[in-house]
Amino acid sequence: MSSIEREIGHDEYDPVGTLALIGLYFLLLVVLWTFTYFVEFLGGDLTVVGTLL
Amino acid sequence: MNVHTYEKVWLGAAMVLIVFFIASVTYGAIGAGVAMVDDSEETIDPDTLGEDDRFGDPRVEQVGDDEYEVYAVARTFVFQPDPIEVPEDSTVTFYITSGDVIHSFSVVGTNANVMVIPGEVATMTVEVDEPGEYGIVCNEYCGPGHHDMEGLLVVQPEDEFELEDDE
Amino acid sequence: MSAETGSATGVASEGRTYIDQFPGEARLVRTAFWSSFVALGIGGLMGLVQVLHRADVLRVIDSTDYYAVLTLHGVLLALTFTIFFLVGIFTWAITTSLDRGLEDLRFTWAWYGLMAGGTALAAIPILGGLTDAVEMSASVLFTFYAPLQAHPLFYLGLALFVVGTWLAGLDWIRSYLAWRRENPDERIPLPTFMVLTTLGFWYLSSLGVALAVVVFLLPWSLGIWEQVNPLLTRTMFWYFGHPVVYFWLMPVYMMWYLMLPKVSGGKLFSDPLARVVFVLFLVLSTPTGIHHQYLDPGIAEGFKFIAMTNTMFLLLPSLLTAFTVVASMEHGARQRGGTGTFGWLRALPWRDPVFTGMALAGVMFAAAGFSGMVNAGMNINYLVHNTFWIVGHFHLTVGTAVALTFMAVTYWFLPQVSGKRLWNRSVALAQVVLWFVGMVLMSNAMHRGGLDSVPRRTAEPQYRGFEIEPTLGTMAELDAQIVLGGTILFVSLVLFLVVVVMTGLGDRVDDLPANEYAETLSGPEDAPLVLDNLKLWVGIAVVLVVLAYALPLAAIVDRGGLFGPGGSPFPVFVGCLEPTVSASVAFLGDHLPAAVSGWW
Repeated sequence: MSSIEREIGHDEYDPVGTLALIGLYFLLLVVLWTFTYFVEFLGGDLTVVGTLL
Repeated sequence: MNVHTYEKVWLGAAMVLIVFFIASVTYGAIGAGVAMVDDSEETIDPDTLGEDDRFGDPRVEQVGDDEYEVYAVARTFVFQPDPIEVPEDSTVTFYITSGDVIHSFSVVGTNANVMVIPGEVATMTVEVDEPGEYGIVCNEYCGPGHHDMEGLLVVQPEDEFELEDDE
Repeated sequence: MSAETGSATGVASEGRTYIDQFPGEARLVRTAFWSSFVALGIGGLMGLVQVLHRADVLRVIDSTDYYAVLTLHGVLLALTFTIFFLVGIFTWAITTSLDRGLEDLRFTWAWYGLMAGGTALAAIPILGGLTDAVEMSASVLFTFYAPLQAHPLFYLGLALFVVGTWLAGLDWIRSYLAWRRENPDERIPLPTFMVLTTLGFWYLSSLGVALAVVVFLLPWSLGIWEQVNPLLTRTMFWYFGHPVVYFWLMPVYMMWYLMLPKVSGGKLFSDPLARVVFVLFLVLSTPTGIHHQYLDPGIAEGFKFIAMTNTMFLLLPSLLTAFTVVASMEHGARQRGGTGTFGWLRALPWRDPVFTGMALAGVMFAAAGFSGMVNAGMNINYLVHNTFWIVGHFHLTVGTAVALTFMAVTYWFLPQVSGKRLWNRSVALAQVVLWFVGMVLMSNAMHRGGLDSVPRRTAEPQYRGFEIEPTLGTMAELDAQIVLGGTILFVSLVLFLVVVVMTGLGDRVDDLPANEYAETLSGPEDAPLVLDNLKLWVGIAVVLVVLAYALPLAAIVDRGGLFGPGGSPFPVFVGCLEPTVSASVAFLGDHLPAAVSGWW
């Protein structure tokens, strides 16, 4: 590809940006899940309870 | 195999995430006591519901001090009984079956939401607190009048509540 | 370094396009693509009708006909559009990576014919549901839950379509075996590896729906069986119904692994991890279907919990893919001169519709990851089951991750298989961006509405006895987002069809880029040999399926029997009755006896 300015091989490449992006994604997932599960769901009305346990 | 350190870190984080999700759900089941609808009820013939003790006459019944049972039938395109009336601060167990196709019994704005499958009796127990009105919708497509299928759950103040007389 | 890895195709194509290398196969791929685009066009139009209808902005059909429209939308987009595109991509992947044509193109056209014929047969009764002129219908939606009963042609068409895909798989396996005889010691090329692992779980899972249709539903619609067990056929549907989403997704992952690094200007970060991911999908895709039945009576909580753990671990290959694919893009960006922790993002080729479409599809898939995690959680399903949330979720997955990736790679594939230059790159770029914008609006509002209990699959989510109140905002605002988003999506779809038609009308040129896919930073030589032992992985997949399904199925049959207690069949005549209770009761009385004796 003509727009390539430099060749970067496997051993000299650390995907720092990827790690940062995916770390943010991880945090987002934890926050959203916690809110949806513990606030929206468990905090909601008419929770179905069982005699099971 | 040549796995980059960052990728190993991410693999570990992904596993943590998965375990966290499973742990939350387990807490919901054991800690918060949320039960899943299950196979505790016998099967039933949807073509002869009329002869059944519980579903021949869909109704609300008192079974304990603050405990009520609702025997409800979903069929195209109604819920029976309608409205369903229960008193505040009570424990209500729904038994719901279908007289024809697959429906759902879903109380709007709440977690009470269950599939109603012909041949099976869905059961769930909920705690109701304050007086109020909830809509009930069928959220499984059941035929051309599906969008008209609705009902009402009325939670009445203690002093206004009385069971309908069957006679 | 890895100068020689993954370069097999670069050498093989010798600078030629796909149509120069394999003219006969290119014709098949082209035809499959066009079949897929026709389904996309019609299915998309139905989507617009539904969006306007539900929000009560414009109702061009009766609400009773809505479900025929919805059936058409679901079947054409979820099965026809996706799978025709898939057979095109997989044919390309096999022939390109093995560098050999298919063994016998007559066989190839035979399976294509079976798939096309099956689709046409199924479409006849679905379309019949829109008119009173013919007494034929199949408004049973994509899931065709018994006792809702479609015309027998619907089930027959579906069965033929699935058999067509099985023969397609045999065609590719035949190519692979022929290649293997000539190259006994080589590693399976990555694209072929992806095709073979996908086929493994496709055969395993589609067997379930084929049995449900051929053993139960088709004979039942012909009046041979009086009734079926609705919980059993429903469980058999979901045995297939979840893996089928990975069938849609695997060609997308293939494109993200093979094409996205290349158009980003980089290399695939890791061939071995790509193989691990596809093996995980082969093994874990099928023993998860019961998570669609968390709220079903008649299935014990323990079975539901097992399905949940399997489903949760199925997140792993997708999360790994997120890393590998983003790292491959970052590699490209840095080779193009990008720097900084986030600054490299600017160095990506955002003006290339192939890249931008795939990248935006990936972003939406990350969002879909979250709603999918909620869907996987067992008891939280009470909150979202069968609500608009679910519709929001799969419009991010199949409706964007899959559809947008397919549209984006079309801009690369179409020149390859037709030898013609892409008609207009700027329109193509606008098209993929519009799809993204439209879907952000539509799916966001669908997710929010779902949390407020707005149901899916209904013509009129407006009720007489109560109103659904959003906790945040108003219903009017949610409806407006959905209508606006849906309209933008439709505009985007029209632009897509304009670009492909105009490209098709162009002339052959001979200066197109060669048929190539991405090289790898860490190649197959780094992948343990055991990964290529497909018999082992298929064996493990079968064992897991038996563990997850043997007991639930046995319990369902034990409780209700193979054929009951299902009640009478319920033929779905759409548009022939008033949606009132009294009419529906009369309808039952009129039609049930006829139905039992084979109404068609």
